[in-house]
Amino acid sequence: MGAEVDHICPTGMSGGSAEGNDKSEGQRFSCKNKLTALVVDNGGVCQIIQTGLLRSYGVETEVVETGEAVVELIASGATFNLIIIEMLLPVLNGPETARQIRAMGAQGKILGITTFFDERDQQEFLAAGADEFIEKPLSPEIVIPIIRGLDN
Amino acid sequence: MERNQMRRQLALMRQSFFDQGFLDEQFIQLEELQDDANPNFVEEVVTLYYRDSSRLILNIDQALERNPLDFNKLDNYMHQFKGSSTSIGAKKVKAECTQFREYCKAGNSEGCMRTFQQLKKEYAILKRKLEAYFQQARQAGPLETACRSRN
Repeated sequence: MGAEVDHICPTGMSGGSAEGNDKSEGQRFSCKNKLTALVVDNGGVCQIIQTGLLRSYGVETEVVETGEAVVELIASGATFNLIIIEMLLPVLNGPETARQIRAMGAQGKILGITTFFDERDQQEFLAAGADEFIEKPLSPEIVIPIIRGLDN
Repeated sequence: MERNQMRRQLALMRQSFFDQGFLDEQFIQLEELQDDANPNFVEEVVTLYYRDSSRLILNIDQALERNPLDFNKLDNYMHQFKGSSTSIGAKKVKAECTQFREYCKAGNSEGCMRTFQQLKKEYAILKRKLEAYFQQARQAGPLETACRSRN
């Protein structure tokens, strides 16, 4: 049975995911402490994939669709170790969202994420209080070091 | 058709998607997220992608009929479209999205329209291939698409 599955299993594929997933013992990477994350994206597919990835590493992950929702959450006292915010959101855009929650005292790591990398967007996001700015997709190569950093 | 044969065919089909550049390693990330708790994750996400993006395509089609074109609006639509295409590993579609955006930035209407026709072609081709793939996977039995938590 195992042999057939190996045909389909992508372990033979090149591509960074093999190392990123830390599968040396057949175990998926998992965070040691209880970590929480918030995904802010108004696209269904992106939401699912980002939350799926974080949850697969043991990170308790919530998702909202708008900057306003994030502001509300933070205002109500919620805290997150990691907040991933899409650049282009309907009303309150990514950087403005980051700016507002930083002003409210949000201290977790903020990762700005976008579809088309743009230096001005990067500057805007970082100036607003984001710690990093990346282009989609959210990959293990990016997420695992962040989780490790938060874990320690 | 015998199951082992079906699975081998399925593996070849899948490999061809990568070899021919239809999918990139992001698709493998989707497969990695599929497990016993989410046995149909890949197909569900791909189905959602086609549902969501059909709406976006309609919006872009309509926006391309305006005169003059609202490049900012088109850019915003394409931002979301590229985001989800990237997230499922749709490599050729993603390349057309990037091309489209270049034409948007340059204010090139003709380029936008031409690229969008090409994008829709690639989008449709991938859809057919993935639909065939999932159908065959279902026929071959549930073991195929679950790669995680196997020892």
